[in-house]
Amino acid sequence: MFDLLPHLLNGLTLGLLFALIALGFMLIVGLMEQINLAHGSLFALGAYVAMQLTGPRPPLPADLAKLWLALPLGWRYAATLVIAPVIVGLIGMLIEFCMRRTYGKDPLYGLLLTFGAAMVIEELIRLVWGTRDYVLQVPSAINGGFLFGDLIWSSYRFYAAGIAAGIIALVWVLIEKTSFGATVKAGAHDSEIVRALGINLSRLRLLVFVFGTMLAAIAGIIVAPIWGIRPHMGVDAVIPAFLVIVLGGVGSFWGAVVAGLLVGLCVGLAGAYASEWSLLSMYILLVAVVTFRARGLWGKKSVLEV
Amino acid sequence: MRGRQISRRSVLKGSLMASVIGGTGSFFGPWRENHAWAQGAKPIKLGLTCDASGQYGNSGQDDFRGIKMAIDEFNAKGGVLGRQVTFITADTETTPATGSRVAERFITREDCTILVGALHSGVANAITQVASKYGVIYMNTNSSAPSEAGENCSRVKFVWDGNGTNFSKASVKNSVDSIGKNWMLLTNDYVWGHTTSAATKAQVEAAGGRIIDNLLVPQNTRDFTAYLLKIQQAKPDVVATAIGGDDIKALREQVAQLKLDGKPAWINNQQDWPDVWGAPDSLFGVFGTTWYHKLQLPGVAEFVKKWQAANKDGPIPVPGNVSYNGYMSTRELLRAIERAGSTNNVKIIKELENLKVSATDRMQHFDAYMDPVTHQMQQTIYLARRNAKPADNTDLFEIISWTEPKSAADDAAPTKCKLTPYEQVPTVDS
Amino acid sequence: MMANSTTSSDAARLVTPTMLVLWLVLATVPLWITRIGLYPYLGIEILIWSLYALAFNLVLGTAGLPSFGHGAYFGIGAYAFGLCQFDIVANLWVCLAAAAVVAGIAGALVALFISHRRGIYYAFMTIAFGQIFWTLAIKSHSVTGGEDGLLKISRLPADFGLVSFDLTDNVAFYYFVLAVFAVGTAILWRLVHSPYGRVVAAIRQSEVRAAHLGYNVWLYKASVFTLSAALSGFSGGLFAMAQLAAFPDVMSLHQSGYVVMMTLVGGGLVSFWGPVIGVFLFLTARDVIGALTNAWMLYFGLLFMAIVLFRPEGIAGALSAAVQQHSINALRRRGTSAMRLLVGGGR
Repeated sequence: MFDLLPHLLNGLTLGLLFALIALGFMLIVGLMEQINLAHGSLFALGAYVAMQLTGPRPPLPADLAKLWLALPLGWRYAATLVIAPVIVGLIGMLIEFCMRRTYGKDPLYGLLLTFGAAMVIEELIRLVWGTRDYVLQVPSAINGGFLFGDLIWSSYRFYAAGIAAGIIALVWVLIEKTSFGATVKAGAHDSEIVRALGINLSRLRLLVFVFGTMLAAIAGIIVAPIWGIRPHMGVDAVIPAFLVIVLGGVGSFWGAVVAGLLVGLCVGLAGAYASEWSLLSMYILLVAVVTFRARGLWGKKSVLEV
Repeated sequence: MRGRQISRRSVLKGSLMASVIGGTGSFFGPWRENHAWAQGAKPIKLGLTCDASGQYGNSGQDDFRGIKMAIDEFNAKGGVLGRQVTFITADTETTPATGSRVAERFITREDCTILVGALHSGVANAITQVASKYGVIYMNTNSSAPSEAGENCSRVKFVWDGNGTNFSKASVKNSVDSIGKNWMLLTNDYVWGHTTSAATKAQVEAAGGRIIDNLLVPQNTRDFTAYLLKIQQAKPDVVATAIGGDDIKALREQVAQLKLDGKPAWINNQQDWPDVWGAPDSLFGVFGTTWYHKLQLPGVAEFVKKWQAANKDGPIPVPGNVSYNGYMSTRELLRAIERAGSTNNVKIIKELENLKVSATDRMQHFDAYMDPVTHQMQQTIYLARRNAKPADNTDLFEIISWTEPKSAADDAAPTKCKLTPYEQVPTVDS
Repeated sequence: MMANSTTSSDAARLVTPTMLVLWLVLATVPLWITRIGLYPYLGIEILIWSLYALAFNLVLGTAGLPSFGHGAYFGIGAYAFGLCQFDIVANLWVCLAAAAVVAGIAGALVALFISHRRGIYYAFMTIAFGQIFWTLAIKSHSVTGGEDGLLKISRLPADFGLVSFDLTDNVAFYYFVLAVFAVGTAILWRLVHSPYGRVVAAIRQSEVRAAHLGYNVWLYKASVFTLSAALSGFSGGLFAMAQLAAFPDVMSLHQSGYVVMMTLVGGGLVSFWGPVIGVFLFLTARDVIGALTNAWMLYFGLLFMAIVLFRPEGIAGALSAAVQQHSINALRRRGTSAMRLLVGGGR
């Protein structure tokens, strides 16, 4: 039993990370009923942009770069957490402009368009940054390890899990407790009401999409120090994101969060006690759940089902 | 390199739509290759099967840089047998099916008589299958699966990298004696991982050590915390890893973050330079390599300078083991053609089978030779650890030992490898 | 929608004029393929993938079921072919049948779990099973050879009792694959236009309506998936012969995504031949662009996005629209007033 506790704790932190990775994907699926397969590439792009900004050669004019580099790493890192998602959000905006043409059609087209976008972004990353790996520098305060219960734990991991929990809470507040959230939700479910209320629906959709891509970028920045940065890292993110959404049920915020935690626990515990099955265990979990619960844990009826 | 890429791209933009959508124009060719040789003799054409995307895209391009350097050197000296050496390359995408198709294209369409370049064992095998069907020689530059020179060996294929067994033999016995007897294995759950760990296990047990656990890690694992906790709970003296690809990069980051290096001791398999260069701070434990750009040996410094001159502004500032293997295999291939005095495939194969390269020529500590039974280059195996006192920002390794080829040889390979007789190899000449 | 591009008389035929023309054109390919700078192996690959994409389109286009893990069945077929050759009997027909049967069994197994699902849940269940099969293929390396691949598969001779054809040469193998492709397309055409195919198409329109009409929707969905998996496995067997080996990579999500991409770009949703057009475009473009630049994914991704945006019905859809437009214009020029009425009414 005593041996089990560390693995439970590990599973939970891993689960929060999975939930964070899925968050942006979930918003776009839940509110716009669009599947954004470029999620993984935007996730990667976030990591690359952050690496460039915090690294020794920021993409700035020489004088500004000097000033920027004079700041301590902690400040630069904190600023990057805001700036990089904004930059990626601009790319998201471009994708949404293209995606507009597919609204009202089979959601398959949005999915395909973003599949193409994912290929393009991955290749652009390769052209700009090359094929080599990079590392995202993080401030020493959140780096390193600490001793707890005779075991060395990664500080960064707990920081990452904490950030994940914080962002999940923020997004929840934004969606459930603000008038913006209320309009967005109404827009997703009944565009006519929103139009009747005089709200610009296309701007609303743009906002949601850009917000989703920014969340993808944040997830990329947070996860990069654990996974490393390479052009095809997006593939590693999009599959768990998809899985978490389907397991939790399309359109359910807490479904996704709980599913993320479940997947984390499942992978973490399998890693410790049946290590060779750890990655497969999440698919088996999904098959087990969806076989008995048609719409995942708490899924709602959605156009994505027809 | 970069300049050429841009021009290719701009050519492409204009004619892409016309040729691809409009059907079959006169656009199909010429491909990316060097221009006509002044002397009229027919060039010798190599097909370079280098990954540019997928898991080994980065290493594949470093392989390419080494291969190209050797080709350029020969052309600068007047070619081989008075003929220019040309090449064509295409992305093999770290995908076996693409490897098959590219190999078929190079051989049947581009008239390549020799193929060079490999990282991923599946891709290398796919290419080998095609090459041996046509009798085309294939230089497996960098795929280091033990099976390459064992059950999957081929008369037309030559393997240039050291493999997991070689590195285990070089590292294990010493570590059991000097560090401790309780070992734990961390094994990627695919063929390479299993064979490498099996070799380690045999060495550990032969040296009087004990394997207390073997954790199988699925391919594509990005989070190793569960395993790291498990290792801490089990408290082994040594952890030997057989983790490859992107997984080892993630593991490196995570071990480095926790500063778990040293408690326990870690023995890693070969760490490829293109992978190390991206994340120098994450090097940990003892690991293997076949070459290092700061080896204190004659010729190394000149080689590095020449490589750097050819690859200015490249993504990696100095050559590493992958580029070195690409260069060495191509150079020895072209020399073998010269010695054979012919481009006949069987004559070249026989030359390569009897290949002996002096230590000076190899820029390694010991003489190297091609094993005629397995077609694997038997070479010096180095062990290294992270350099605590680097001379410059590329000086990442501290070389701690070198093992001569005989002591690191994979003894089991010759019994597994069955080469087809020469008579059954289709004749290829150019 | 399928009916739009097919006249009713064609639907009833075993072999349609389009089919005949296509087969004849394909039969001449080895005569000129090297002259346009390509090579026979590419032709083999295109035919095999075409058959695979047509099989896949049975699920995606005809039944409207989004299966994103189809590579699994293609890969299972390839392994089954190789293992049959090594462990059971080295006979082409037996091993091709084995490829289809084993992949069909895997498909049926998956169908049991997914046939009462729709849309995104269906899609992801297929992905999950695809990943499971892919992982198992890598894990079971004592059987499959893992990432090293199942090697030394040979192109068994096509033995017809009286005569036997050696298929080791690429051109010979091309003709064999073409013959199989011809039979395959004829069968698929009949299947799609049979009463069974019409029920499946009706399920795509509305599951509820089909159920009200008394059809067992679950059984139709499960059977069409199984059939598609079996035929994909059969194509996989051919692919193992082409490659002389079988590897797990074709089972990966990426590769499964490619077949979806090819099918849709070609216009599989609106035309029977869409997948073939898509495969031809994808494989040729990738080969040609790939030989020019390592950044082929960039151009291909852009091309793909443009097609989804501007020609969402795919190349086949665009072609048939262009043909219709052309004939309408011709008719207009002839000034047939009745036609004018018809066209006006059609708009």
